[in-house]
Amino acid sequence: MRRTFYFLSRNTLAMIGLSILIFFVFVAVYSFFDPSSDTQLETFCGEYGGPGGGTAFNGTAGCQLVCTYASNGPAPGPNCYAVDYYNPGFVPPTVDFAHLKGGPVPLGSLTLNPSSPYFYSVYQGELKGAPWSLGISAGIVLSGAAIGLLLGSVAGYSGGYTDEFIMRITDIFLSIPGLLLVLVLLAVLGTHFTSLTDRVAVLMGAFIITWWPLYTRIVRGQVLVTREQKYVEASKASGARSWRILGRHIVPNSLFPVFVQLSLDVGAIPLLLGALVFLGFHIFPSEYFPEWGSMSAKAIQIVPFQLTACISTSCEFPWWQLLFPGLVIFLFAISVNFLSDGLRDALDPRLRR
Amino acid sequence: MKMWVYIIRRVLLMLPVIIGVMTITFLVTSALPLDYRLISSLGASKNGYKPTVPCSQLNMTGVLCDNPAYYRGIHTLGLDQPPWTQYATYIYNSLTLHWGFTAANGPASGITGKAVQPVATVLSWYLPYTLELAAFSLFLILLIAIPIGNYSAVYRNRPLDQGARVLSFSGFALPGFILATLFLLGATYLVGAGVQECHATSTPYFDFYGSFPPWSCVDGGKPSWIGANYQTSPTGFPTVDSFLHGQYYLAGDTVFRLILPAIVIAYGSVAGILRFVRNSMLEVLNLDFIRTARAKGVAESGVVRRHAGRNSLNVTVTVLGLTFAGFIGGFPIIESVFNLHGVGLILALSIQPPYDFGIIFGATLLFTIIVVIANILVDIVYAFLDPRVRLG
Repeated sequence: MRRTFYFLSRNTLAMIGLSILIFFVFVAVYSFFDPSSDTQLETFCGEYGGPGGGTAFNGTAGCQLVCTYASNGPAPGPNCYAVDYYNPGFVPPTVDFAHLKGGPVPLGSLTLNPSSPYFYSVYQGELKGAPWSLGISAGIVLSGAAIGLLLGSVAGYSGGYTDEFIMRITDIFLSIPGLLLVLVLLAVLGTHFTSLTDRVAVLMGAFIITWWPLYTRIVRGQVLVTREQKYVEASKASGARSWRILGRHIVPNSLFPVFVQLSLDVGAIPLLLGALVFLGFHIFPSEYFPEWGSMSAKAIQIVPFQLTACISTSCEFPWWQLLFPGLVIFLFAISVNFLSDGLRDALDPRLRR
Repeated sequence: MKMWVYIIRRVLLMLPVIIGVMTITFLVTSALPLDYRLISSLGASKNGYKPTVPCSQLNMTGVLCDNPAYYRGIHTLGLDQPPWTQYATYIYNSLTLHWGFTAANGPASGITGKAVQPVATVLSWYLPYTLELAAFSLFLILLIAIPIGNYSAVYRNRPLDQGARVLSFSGFALPGFILATLFLLGATYLVGAGVQECHATSTPYFDFYGSFPPWSCVDGGKPSWIGANYQTSPTGFPTVDSFLHGQYYLAGDTVFRLILPAIVIAYGSVAGILRFVRNSMLEVLNLDFIRTARAKGVAESGVVRRHAGRNSLNVTVTVLGLTFAGFIGGFPIIESVFNLHGVGLILALSIQPPYDFGIIFGATLLFTIIVVIANILVDIVYAFLDPRVRLG
């Protein structure tokens, strides 16, 4: 273990990746203590009285602030009103992009930036989105890895018909292109669920269903190698039961490739969430839910409109709405990639030299 | 084992996988509300059920679903039969390409022209373009990954190796939708600044949006061999058909329109295959016959290209199948950004409310079949390259 960390610490790219990742985890923790956005959003929703007043980001109803953009820019007040997203009469806000003026939100500013199509500033959105993005990614990947570890070790250790059965099912799932299965499951199951917690659960479930086969295959391959080792034979000869051999010897020794794959996959999930939102799935109750992937998807979707509006009326192009969400999602994914590559090198004795 | 025995065995092994995928779609279909299923598989209103409004919406208000036509529709589809009968019918129909009908009010019906069409027919119009894009992207991926991977292995841990790895990682980490949109906007801006005049006025015309140029910019307007939904005859592949009909400008234009999407796809998925090329090359370079080749005085470039390169190709071929399954999942996004008339575009339209579940399930099945067939092709090529596979 210590040797692994030593080799990892010699790898510059991996250390850069690790420090970025630690920074993001710190941001996610800090967001709970950040004094800015939650209170303000609640005041907004409470003040203008929607049916779900003030609960949009606490997880029950879809209270949302809708601003109609007047010619001199939006002002909270007569132009803004709160609606419930699940209200049948809900009409999505139309935003006149020509009027999106204002500078980039300075980092550290605690004020709500009313000129952004988010009704929180980009800074607040990224901050609030950190626990959602990190939590959803980690939850999906860890559950997928747990299922894969269980099924893979059972398949690899028992062999025979059990192995055949599990691996054929794994093959079937692996041959469906990943994002498509998520799309189908969300399209079907999404018709049934409405509340935020339910929808996040469905989302994570859909991803886990697509994710476990990869881990099952990796673990099985590793277990097939491990179970032929001498120490497993010795353990068997000294009368250990098979669950003990699995738990004490085989599973711990086939964990490393899972770690590598796991660290690689964590970075991909915010990107995939963004892709889903880009394709038009309303995963989250609010159109402008603070989650990294959806924020960047929403930002890139309005860029062509902003450009045409800015070309015709010469306004300032709000580049910060795209740059910062894009940068966050890019840094997260690439840091995880660096770390995973470093781990692979550190754990594989052939590549250490 | 003879080669043809191996091929037949491999093709037969494909059937359980495809039936398994159909089982998954059957299970997922069962979770759909009944009225959606009626719409997505009944189609024509000749059965008395008029698929105009999803019945789930009506059902919530109470009575409207409760009419004889609704029950007749359920009976026609066999939804009142035991699950095993339904399952057998479903598998039989799926295998014989009876994939249901498009929804009359679905988003896809807007671009397919007629209100209700068989799903398999609609998909067959859009499949060739997707295949063309996939082949082009695969070609581009190989064109980038093999030389750079070999180079990285030979000059291991030098700055250029690190640079190539960082570049390929960045392709992994950049979301495809952002990259595609920025490429489209940037290319349109760069090209459109100078050359916006039309081909009708015999000046070159370029844009990147859509799979064909505006017909007013093509000599003689819209060719007669292109149908209402961009389906082309006789082969269905737009580039090939343009060549066959002697319209070389159009053929060049269709290839030109493939370049940007293919670059985006390749940039996103080159990282995985690059790593494999590099690793397999590293392994081969440590083998004895390479030392022998060097010892007998073969030039270093010859060692790398002829001796090591050929041997590391085997591993690369096996990863191609995986890469293919990886990047084909991104087609709905790329095709809808560039407005290319492929299966991905029609799938991306169908997953938006009001849903068109016939197209959704049909397209998923189709993409899976493409991936499975690609895997078989990869296995066969691998068996040709490495006799141990078919003999062992």
